[in-house]
Amino acid sequence: MSTSSAISMPMVTMPLLASTPASKLTLNRLFMAAAVALNAEIRRTKARLLEEVVKLQKLVLKKVKGLTKEELSIRNDLVLALPERIRAIPDGSMAGAKQTANWAASASHKNIMFDSSDGNFDSEFFQQSEESSQFRQEYEMRRMKQDQGLDVISEGLDTLKNLANDMNEELDRQVPLIDEIDTKVDKATSDIKNTNVRLKETVTKMRSSQNFCIDIILLCVILGIASYLYNVLK
Amino acid sequence: MGSDPEKLIIKADKLTKLSLTRWSADWRGATLLYEQAAVGFRLAKDYEKAKVAFEKASKGQEMLSSQWDAAKHMESAAALAKELNNWGEVADFYRRASELYTECGRSQPASDALAKGARALEDAAPDEAIQLYTDACTILEEDGKEHMAFDLYRAATSVYIKLEKYADAATFLLRWGLAADKCKATHSQFKAYLSAIVVYLYAHDFKEAEKCYNDCSQIDAFLSSDQGRCASKLLSAYADGDIEEIKRVAQSSTISNLDHMIIRLARKLPTGDVSAMKANAGNEQEEPLDEDDLT
Repeated sequence: MSTSSAISMPMVTMPLLASTPASKLTLNRLFMAAAVALNAEIRRTKARLLEEVVKLQKLVLKKVKGLTKEELSIRNDLVLALPERIRAIPDGSMAGAKQTANWAASASHKNIMFDSSDGNFDSEFFQQSEESSQFRQEYEMRRMKQDQGLDVISEGLDTLKNLANDMNEELDRQVPLIDEIDTKVDKATSDIKNTNVRLKETVTKMRSSQNFCIDIILLCVILGIASYLYNVLK
Repeated sequence: MGSDPEKLIIKADKLTKLSLTRWSADWRGATLLYEQAAVGFRLAKDYEKAKVAFEKASKGQEMLSSQWDAAKHMESAAALAKELNNWGEVADFYRRASELYTECGRSQPASDALAKGARALEDAAPDEAIQLYTDACTILEEDGKEHMAFDLYRAATSVYIKLEKYADAATFLLRWGLAADKCKATHSQFKAYLSAIVVYLYAHDFKEAEKCYNDCSQIDAFLSSDQGRCASKLLSAYADGDIEEIKRVAQSSTISNLDHMIIRLARKLPTGDVSAMKANAGNEQEEPLDEDDLT
């Protein structure tokens, strides 16, 4: 109601005011008022829509009969996209900045524009701008270098990850093989132990009569005597 | 026992031939003589006779019911046949050796024998080689030892790619993925899937590549893995027809971690006309949008 009257007023007064250049500024201001009012209405509608979207999100997750899984995910995606679309509707909070910058007196402090077309700058401003631009450049350079370094690290990490995964799989492959080796070696060890025991028994059987050592000693004595006699008789 | 191998063979033959004076063949002695003769021939570089001697020795061992030794002799005979470039015999001998190993109940040597045969035949008779590789993989899979089969899969895929049979190569790669899945080697599985997608793209078969990607995406882990992301980037680059992007993805480290023959294919991407694929993909996308339009 108030918006419609705000709209109709400039419609009526426009031809009257359009003539005077001095009043062009006033004309702009009137349009501004209408725009502000419209924007306010848009913002109110957006807020209401956002509330509705929350309710819709809850509804979408409920499973409906006869709906395939794909359609469900499509609906889900759509609902998720809705808040973005709602927020994207221009409600003047961005447009307002451009227009307020043109107002010399009551510049809005929220949106600082770097427009150099505004007149109230003196030489000090330019000095600062040099320093700040240098600083900005250095910041950008350092950031680029950091990005490059991080890229190199990321490549190295990729290679490491691949190597580690391959090693992991290789070790998994070797585990049952080693278990098999373990079993077989155990079996071989016990076989050898058995054989050793049997060998020991056999040798002990031969030695226990004690004739074995005596035999060898007597043999050596006889050989010594024989060689001595041989040398003497030669 | 350095006597002439020929004489040994004749003696051994006499021992095995049944006649009036001999009612049963003396395989033990004969086998011994055959083995000696075979070694003698091999030293004398007389491969043909050595091969024959090994065959007879193997037969002797079979008669003595020692399949392991029989199989070993068959393998030696096959190696000599390879020297002689007698490819049919190579395949036959290795198969026989593998059968003997299977009779012993040892699957690993059986598949090894087939793999050796396949490797020997790669250049001369690649189709036979592929058959041998496939049989070797089957033997291992039946015995539950899929993790040993990875090398075989890799070798078989490289032979397929050399033969430019890309559809078969991709199918084999998917089989590799299945084997990897059974032994929970997820990294190898995902690499196999990515390789299959690359092969399809190289063969200029975008639809198959997409189908493959969708099939593999059934596995959640693949979607969120490095390889899955790389595959989706590659496919979307193809759908956009962006050659620079395709080249960039192909140079990425994920692709460089695959097997070298796949890397070679990836570096050669994109093959052919990318813009044609883009047009196809664009046509397909228009219809679904209408359904999703809520207004």
